[in-house]
Amino acid sequence: MIAHEKPIADKATDIFGASLSRRGFVKTGGALLVGFGLVNADAMQNVGGAVSGNTLNPALPESWIEIHADNTVLIRVGKPDFGQGTVYTAYRQIAAEELRVPFEAITTVVSGDTDRTPDGSGAFDFLQGGMPNIRKAGAYVYQALLDLASRQLGVPKDQLSVNNGIVSGGGKSVSYGNLVKNQKLNLTIPVKGDVNSMFGLTVDGNPPLKPVSDYTVVGKSYPNSITVSKVTAKETWVTDLRVPGMLHARIVHPKTLGSKLVSVGPLDKTRFPNTQVVVKGNLVGVVAPTEWEAIKAVQQVASATKWSDWKGLPGDGRLFQFLKEDADWKAAPAATSKTSKGDVRSALAASAKKLSATYQLPFLKHAPIGPTMAVADVRSDGSVYIYTHTQNPQALRTGIAYMLKTSVGNVVVRNLAGPGHYGRSNGGNAGAEDEAVILSQAVGKPVRVQWMRQDDFQWSTQSPAAYSDVQIGVDEKGNLSSYQIDHYMPAMQDDRLVGAVLAGLPTIPGPDEKGSIFGIANSMHDPWIYDGTPTVLERAYGTFQIGHKSSPLGVGLRDHSMRTPGQFQQNFPRELAITEAAVLAAVDPLQFRIQHAREKRAIAVLESVRDASGWQTRSERSSDNSGVRRGQGIAAMFRSGTYWACVAHISVNVASGTIKVEKMTVAVDPGIVVNPAQLKRQIEGGSVMGVSMALLEELSFDESGVVANDWKSYPIATMSDLPEINVILINRPEVGKYGQGSEAANALAAPAIAGAFLDATGKVARRLPLKPDYVQSLLRA
Amino acid sequence: MTTIIVNGAKREVQAPTDTPLLYVLRNDLELSGPQFGCGLAQCGACSVLLNGTEVRSCITPLAAVADKEITTLEGLPARWAKQKGLSDKEAGETLHPVQEAWIEEQTPLCGFCQNGMMIKATELLERVASPTVEQIKQAFTSGVSPHLCRCGSYTAIIQAVQRAATAMTKGVTHDRA
Repeated sequence: MIAHEKPIADKATDIFGASLSRRGFVKTGGALLVGFGLVNADAMQNVGGAVSGNTLNPALPESWIEIHADNTVLIRVGKPDFGQGTVYTAYRQIAAEELRVPFEAITTVVSGDTDRTPDGSGAFDFLQGGMPNIRKAGAYVYQALLDLASRQLGVPKDQLSVNNGIVSGGGKSVSYGNLVKNQKLNLTIPVKGDVNSMFGLTVDGNPPLKPVSDYTVVGKSYPNSITVSKVTAKETWVTDLRVPGMLHARIVHPKTLGSKLVSVGPLDKTRFPNTQVVVKGNLVGVVAPTEWEAIKAVQQVASATKWSDWKGLPGDGRLFQFLKEDADWKAAPAATSKTSKGDVRSALAASAKKLSATYQLPFLKHAPIGPTMAVADVRSDGSVYIYTHTQNPQALRTGIAYMLKTSVGNVVVRNLAGPGHYGRSNGGNAGAEDEAVILSQAVGKPVRVQWMRQDDFQWSTQSPAAYSDVQIGVDEKGNLSSYQIDHYMPAMQDDRLVGAVLAGLPTIPGPDEKGSIFGIANSMHDPWIYDGTPTVLERAYGTFQIGHKSSPLGVGLRDHSMRTPGQFQQNFPRELAITEAAVLAAVDPLQFRIQHAREKRAIAVLESVRDASGWQTRSERSSDNSGVRRGQGIAAMFRSGTYWACVAHISVNVASGTIKVEKMTVAVDPGIVVNPAQLKRQIEGGSVMGVSMALLEELSFDESGVVANDWKSYPIATMSDLPEINVILINRPEVGKYGQGSEAANALAAPAIAGAFLDATGKVARRLPLKPDYVQSLLRA
Repeated sequence: MTTIIVNGAKREVQAPTDTPLLYVLRNDLELSGPQFGCGLAQCGACSVLLNGTEVRSCITPLAAVADKEITTLEGLPARWAKQKGLSDKEAGETLHPVQEAWIEEQTPLCGFCQNGMMIKATELLERVASPTVEQIKQAFTSGVSPHLCRCGSYTAIIQAVQRAATAMTKGVTHDRA
């Protein structure tokens, strides 16, 4: 113990609502650990009635932030990295900033393990409206360190300053490491929420934050620390994990999305002497000592397994007729946007020019490059270990505990690197985990379930199809006088564990059932940005998932949020309709948007993308009438604190109907740019996904289930589809917040490309994707 | 028993000879660079070099590679070191320029496909020292199937291939004295 240190009082010290105490002294090392105290703990509600239980005891050293005696820092975050790199770059930068330590001082990042991270929630909304948990946790720790330094140096807090983890004042200084040396200090910070829920815990209170104007770490392009291990094959991916005694499994999924098991095909024991078949309800698993034996054996078993038939889906050819005529859009209340105003009906009637149109978007697949897989180890003492790649480990843990009717305290989910799947598991389930648990429990050994490519296309969730009806009025001056849009989309958040559903085990409720988190109601996902429009009516209608109610399995076409969820489905019709309105008004579509926007950040991204893209401002469409016609299109969006604008330059081959996106220019204003290089890479990637969704992607399904089963039947963009991509980042420290950066780029391409198609050809493509046969039919019309 | 040469070393493998090379590499030899993406030779996540040519290990049976030379992602540094005649010490400290470029350019997003992308880049750069963008696009989209990246990292891949090409044509910068 350092002689001149004034001891901390026995009772805890208040730090802006947090509580600092010393748990004791240690001879070597020492640390300041941050735990949490629940605010309003009685109000906690567990999804599906699972037993309450926090991941970490705040008295134990598993905590948000550890300041170590050697001046290194460890951070723990519940959100797993999914390729955004956020937990390894932005989170370290934000924590380093608040703590006033160098980026490099944060030497350890623990993320996404239910037993080793405090806050839960998922790999979405990483920057949490500009206030990620790690920012506030860092701010509390900084204040606690100042408090310790003040006592040790005998200098009032307000006379202390900190630089690179060294506190100075009154001619004296001390490092963070020396402040915590030989002590076990514990800081308890207030939090609210439920760690077991989809959204996890949120750090509460209002500790003083570092002024943005003093930032030195945020805004720089630090590299992603996990890249090196991935590039050098040293990362342990979830696919690489091997547990002693582990067996390999494959699943015989039902023949259709409504088929019940009639009889299981016999296993040829002469060929597969060490293989077992596990049957539970309608779940059939094949478990073998080696992966190749499991693959061969599952083919043999599947070929002779009999299922009942089911034809309860409309099939893709009748999808939009089904949605329009058969789906029950009154099953849930319609949502009306807060930006709706005025009397659209009268304004429309009085308008000089009118547009009335319907826009259609197909089902899409998240389509991860690696099919889902997981390892589960259900042990004889009742504990369950799951090794997987999920966006929301705590929510998965809750679902598994509920399935097994056990306490969440018995379930541990460890998260490892894996293929990105763009929202599919943000409610917990990546697909294979529950099946691995069921099989491990049945055979009494750890089991690795790997879905094959076909399983992943046919038994995973999809991004829901949608359509929108638009009515627009344009006045004689060329301004929007009325704008009405009605969005129709089935429920898009089915987080039930599909293996549990097949096995007849308990699951959290489906999206129409009592107690479900999201229900089937739709909401307005796409905030209105054209505030200069006098009358606006935006409504969103939801309904059941297609086939959910009629499938004897209760399955049907299960849907799940996918990158820019709901907003993609709403922004495509809106932005294409705005372009069409500009054409009606005989005003340049980009200028038309500027004309109707009032928020200066929205106008600035539009001006920025106009200037950077080589946009030709003109009120007439392209005069190009050659065999390969070129056009320009624009789309804009506001999402999670970030303004976006995108210009697409395309060419249309009139004879073949093929569209080539030649250039994408994207301007982004997220407020504070945390890491420019990482953000730029994310936006480039999202833009490519957007091109893919606009031109290529459409899920094929028949009356029984998903038809697509590989990359030929569900093609995605390849390098030959790659346009030139230019990203313009607009850094606005004065906003004071970090907006969501990367997720949304995929939504911009489709409306910009369709706008460019209108410019190039004079034809409107109101349905995605813009495949050659559709393009040709439009050009012939 | 099948003998294969993996990353310069002879390996005896017990697996049945119809086992796809991917599972032999991953499960028997614990080489986890190549990944299972489709099992159909449609994505490229499982690529390895077979006598210097990129192949899809998910559809290549063990029997077809007996006594042939296989290079996985793990073997790229040694492959480069051998080509450049580096000492063992230098080799131990060296990554393949393709890997260096992938890090410098911060190419991976989720990174699951990047094994195949780096294998394909190595094959290309061993044949064409300074490929144009069109040649890079051609290489990554021809053959048995295009190499797929769902995260959309194609821009970063092209920039990394060009960076690696520059590094490889310059040669190593080690002090060889």
